Amino acid sequence: MTDAIAPFFEATVRTATPLAFAALGELVAERAGVINIGLEGTIIAGAFGGLVAAGAAGVGVGFLGAVVAGMFVAAIFAFFVVTLRADHIITGTAISMLGVGATGTLYRIFFGTTGAALETPTLAPLPIPLLHSIPWIGEALFGQPPITYLLYVIVPCLAWWLRRTGAGLALRAVGERPEAASAAGISPARVRWAALLFCGAMGGLGGGTLVLAQVGTFNEGISAGRGFIAIAIVVLGRWSAVGVSGAALLFGAASALQYFAQAMGWGIPYQFALALPYVLTLIALAGAGERAAAPAALGARG
Amino acid sequence: MNITMTRRAMVWFINTVALLAMACGGTKGGKPAAESGAAGTAGAMKVALLTPGPITDQSWNGGAYSGLMRIKDSLGAAVSHIQTKTPAEFEENFRQYGAQGYTMVIGHGFEFQDAAKRVGPEFPKTIYITTGGNSSGPNIAAMSFAFEDPSYLAGMAAAAVTKTGTVGCIGGTELPPVKSSFAAFTAGALSVNPKIKVVTAFIGNWDDASAGKEQALALIGRGADVIFQNADAAGLGVFQAAKEGKGIWVIGSNADQNNVAPSVTLGSVVIDVPHAFLVMAREVKGGNFQPRVVRLDTKTDVVRWVPNPATLQTIPAAMRARVDSVQQLMKAGTFVLPPAVQPTGAK
Repeated sequence: MTDAIAPFFEATVRTATPLAFAALGELVAERAGVINIGLEGTIIAGAFGGLVAAGAAGVGVGFLGAVVAGMFVAAIFAFFVVTLRADHIITGTAISMLGVGATGTLYRIFFGTTGAALETPTLAPLPIPLLHSIPWIGEALFGQPPITYLLYVIVPCLAWWLRRTGAGLALRAVGERPEAASAAGISPARVRWAALLFCGAMGGLGGGTLVLAQVGTFNEGISAGRGFIAIAIVVLGRWSAVGVSGAALLFGAASALQYFAQAMGWGIPYQFALALPYVLTLIALAGAGERAAAPAALGARG
Repeated sequence: MNITMTRRAMVWFINTVALLAMACGGTKGGKPAAESGAAGTAGAMKVALLTPGPITDQSWNGGAYSGLMRIKDSLGAAVSHIQTKTPAEFEENFRQYGAQGYTMVIGHGFEFQDAAKRVGPEFPKTIYITTGGNSSGPNIAAMSFAFEDPSYLAGMAAAAVTKTGTVGCIGGTELPPVKSSFAAFTAGALSVNPKIKVVTAFIGNWDDASAGKEQALALIGRGADVIFQNADAAGLGVFQAAKEGKGIWVIGSNADQNNVAPSVTLGSVVIDVPHAFLVMAREVKGGNFQPRVVRLDTKTDVVRWVPNPATLQTIPAAMRARVDSVQQLMKAGTFVLPPAVQPTGAK
């Protein structure tokens, strides 16, 4: 039993990584008052962009391609929601469908019906000396591909930036009282555009991680609902960077638990195991109480 | 007012684009053929295919698309393909093709049979065929693949290759045919080594390749060193897990997957869907269609165990001979699967 603990934590962190990228991006968008339901489309665009760019010029460029593709999709969303002031939910739903459909079509155009082989270069794990030999959690936290470590930098920086900088304050002001922000000389539209582009870059990185650090190939629908889970993770994390990364880990742990529950051969009906992450998320959401932490102007047009 | 109108128009526009993209995602490759083929020439054969997943999965759906292309090339039929997900879509698309006067509409999977039963009577001139399933009607037939036969053989091979004595099965969802294929695999493994442990897991969908990989890693962590995967696109993650591990073997399914990851693939449990489709389409074209459940098994050479030539030496020669002899018995129809294995026909 104990020999399953370290692999369990490793699976937790691996599952949480793409979710954390996407959720941190969503966090910034929501803090600016925009709920980006199109995140799913951003993630799968990032996955596809990563595949194409990595196939052409290696893993590093692959991640760059993922970021660019994610930002491209987010820019479409921003154009409709911010510039044209369209409804967030409707536009976001359309963007999600567009992302999943368009990447499928492009995938067949680029790679034919046989798809891309499992030959996409992937990012090898880079164990951090000493730290990765900590019992149980060392390998999970410090034996990962470098992209995971990028999160360790982003989370504290983002937390500090949101709370302690003028720009962070401006972003939050736009999400709470856009009129007040406007009166203070801040352009809500410009802030939201920037927030959504950041969200796109992060969602793209999440998708890129799936392809370039985990699966080694793309398949249609590979995002598999992660965009929507990331949105729930933002709520669960109470709209704070640290909370969101904790919530991503919790969801990762619940997923890892169900993989292990099945692998142990305990004979639990697999449907129960599969429902576990979602049930836990629901319980956590129900226990989180009031939505007091939500930005006041979240989802409002304008 | 004007601005509002523009905004609305733009939202409409993006919705339409999104829906179009979805539709393209589903029909790419099929649509142009349908239009360029026998459009307008009365009496020409028109064949449509509905797949439950993307045709780029190199597995269940990819095989069906190859089958559709073979019907187009060999019989000169006009063809169309659409990817569908929900039962409501199955019915809707069955109706659409019926209304467009298609000769033959194939729903690729066990899950299409209820929709075929409901829509079939509305369009008596269209022949509805489901792969998997066990129901037929005046214009409805089912192709039932004896996927259990080669799964049993794969189980024998797995038992001969495992060093840990634990082998795994990973499926997409627990469709009856997948379940019975895993049962046959288990029976085959037990026939070689009664002490072998078989652990079965399901991903819950057919396209989360990352979850497929994690599930495989979890099984490998519990000692499994041979994994039989039947999860279509999500199964690609199982191959990736094996590639990153040491001494881990994967058995592919539905299509010949020996080339997906040649260095770690032991073999594939193959359904020759293109062949099966062509036989059925010929029957329909020749006007000899008989409503029935067609059982396609080892005897008809539609299902077979295909060892990977690149890793053939991994399976001991004696076991290869034993597997071959069982396959011969299956061909002759004299091999009886254990009663625990209930054949249902492939998904």
